[in-house]
Amino acid sequence: MTSLFRTGFLLAKNSIIASSVRSLSITKPLNLKEIREQQKGQSIVIEGVIVPSPRTELLVRNDSVTSEDGKQPCYMCSLGLDVKHTDVLILSQFVRSDGCMLPRRITGLCSRQQKKIGKMVTMAQKAGLMINLTPGNCKKDPKKRFGYKKFNTYFDESTIFVKRLPKQEDRFRRSGSMYFN
Amino acid sequence: MSAAKRVQQWATFARTWHIFDCKWQDPYESANLIKKYLMGLHKPIYHPMNDCGDVVVCVNSRDIALRGDDWKQRAYFHHTGYPGGATWTLAWELHSKDPTMIIKKAVYRSMKGNLQRRHTMERLLIYPGMNVPEDVMQNVTNQIRQIRYVPVRLDHIPEEEVKSFPKVMDYPENYVLK
Ligand SMILES: [Zn+2]
Repeated sequence: MTSLFRTGFLLAKNSIIASSVRSLSITKPLNLKEIREQQKGQSIVIEGVIVPSPRTELLVRNDSVTSEDGKQPCYMCSLGLDVKHTDVLILSQFVRSDGCMLPRRITGLCSRQQKKIGKMVTMAQKAGLMINLTPGNCKKDPKKRFGYKKFNTYFDESTIFVKRLPKQEDRFRRSGSMYFN
Repeated sequence: MSAAKRVQQWATFARTWHIFDCKWQDPYESANLIKKYLMGLHKPIYHPMNDCGDVVVCVNSRDIALRGDDWKQRAYFHHTGYPGGATWTLAWELHSKDPTMIIKKAVYRSMKGNLQRRHTMERLLIYPGMNVPEDVMQNVTNQIRQIRYVPVRLDHIPEEEVKSFPKVMDYPENYVLK
């Protein structure tokens, strides 16, 4: 128990020191932390280990784009990619291991891109395309989901920024299958 | 009639059998495509009085994809003819009962309602999976291209490919990995 307290205290102290005092370096050091839990005899040791980011080597950036007022747009705007909800290799970078979208302070996107990516992550999850990035109680098979959720669904990305969705009766009229089938 | 002309005559008026894979396809979009082959609209000899329609075999109709929340928004209407005999069945309930019904109704509705429609529908064969009878499969000579790309699930992509894929987002400093 004492060791648990000590490591907890050390972790808190380390995080304060790491955020206030930074070591000088030419390239940007990116230190991630991984919480590791291991049992040594009677005591459980929980430590925050600093690990290098596996993404730094593969990072794609476009710094040549500037808007009219000389400001740099956010990295997704400057890349100008046409991301669809089926592009799970891109969308999976913005989620945690339980499939939850990361907040804006972590992703560093502008508000429009954050909303767009967030909605596309929701679309991909509803379509069952990122079924391995789901909470632990998930059965990890889209066809075992309940009711209407077990069937394949696709989405239209142009509906993301639609202000007014059609009314319920308009939807039935649009489907047109009510009286004619 | 020369031999070449005879073959040309045969090739023009023979019924072709097409196969269409419904996996991840919108039934209402694909109905407009299937309709053209069923009625023979893709042929230059088309005429409403000319019996030139082809046969279309739809496979994997269980794996059709509907847009957005259409599975619980679309209702299929049926009336038994008796008072109070009206029923509204949601698309997902209908699809659980009969996985071929949605695509059948979509193709039926995409065509004009005349006396020919019932006969044209006889040339549409729908199978819920890949189990097609051998006597049907041996006639198939053409495949209709799918409209929508079939999406790939993240857990079906090899792990090395996911790891080596170019990254867009990097974690900020001191982010605790979850
Ligand atoms: Zn932006």
